[in-house]
Amino acid sequence: MSHHLKFIARTVMVQNGNVDAAYRTLSRILTVDGIIEDAKRRRYYEKPCRKRQRETYEMCRRIYNTEMARKIAFLMRKNRQDPWLGC
Amino acid sequence: MTRVLVVAWQRFLGARLGGYNVALCGGIHTGFQRLQEQMENTESVAPEVTANQSKSDFRLFPPVPGQGSSLTWSGKKYEDIPIAHIKATYNNTHIQVVSPENLPFARTSCGTEGFRNAKKATAIAAQTAGIAAAAKACRKGVSHVRVVVKGLGPGRMSAIKGLTMGGLEVISITDDTPIPHNGCRPRKARRL
Repeated sequence: MSHHLKFIARTVMVQNGNVDAAYRTLSRILTVDGIIEDAKRRRYYEKPCRKRQRETYEMCRRIYNTEMARKIAFLMRKNRQDPWLGC
Repeated sequence: MTRVLVVAWQRFLGARLGGYNVALCGGIHTGFQRLQEQMENTESVAPEVTANQSKSDFRLFPPVPGQGSSLTWSGKKYEDIPIAHIKATYNNTHIQVVSPENLPFARTSCGTEGFRNAKKATAIAAQTAGIAAAAKACRKGVSHVRVVVKGLGPGRMSAIKGLTMGGLEVISITDDTPIPHNGCRPRKARRL
C-alpha cells in the first residue's frame, strides 16, 4: 500500500461507533473480492501441480453447483398453490 | 473480475452513492452487470431516503483528500487523524499508534503485556495490548484514530475491540494485508 494512495482502497468507515458492523462489512467485501482466501493460500507455497488440481476441482464444483441450482429452481416451479383447487 | 470490482468501488466513490445500501443489499454480487443494476436501483431509491438525513449522509468509503468533504472529528479532517497500525501475525499482534506525520505515540504488543510464547497468539492477549496502546495514546492526547490492519492472525478483530475498550474512538478500518503479485516464494507446505 505504500506505493499506492493510502486509505482509499479496502477502507470502511465506522458509523455511530459500531466497530463490529464495520469490521463485518470489511470482511465481507474482502471475502467477496477473494483477498482473504488468497492471503491464506499464500502462507505456504502451492506447487504448480497442486495449483492445477485445485483449479480443476474448483471449476468442476462451480459447474456442478450452478447446474444443480438451475435444476432446483426449475423443479421448484412445481411448488405452487394448486391451480385446480376444488376440481 | 477482482480488478473490475476495485474499479467499480472507486467509481462509486466519485459517483457519491449510498455505498452502505449497496453493501447490505443481500450480499455483493460480483457480476459487473448486476453491480450496475444495483447502482441504478439505489439511485432510484435515494429520493425516498432523503427524509432520513442522518442515514443517507453516511458514506461507507472514506473522504478523498482531493474532493472537499465536510466530515470532521473534533475539528480535524480525515487526513489529519492519527493512525493505529495493527500487525496481526499468526504468533503475535503488534499495535503502534502514529501521528499523520509518522511520529510515534504508543507501541505495544502481546509480548510487552507480559504474555509469553503460545499465549501471545490469542485474542485476549491482542485485546489487552489494544487497551494498553489506547491508554498510552489517550495520555498523549489522541481521541480519534484510523485503524490499519495487516495480516490474518488471531488478534485481528480483538485488537480493534481493545482499542475501543481502552477509550480511543475508531473512525475507519483499513485492511493492509500484503498481497504480493507473485513476488517472494513463501515457505514450503507443512505436511502434518
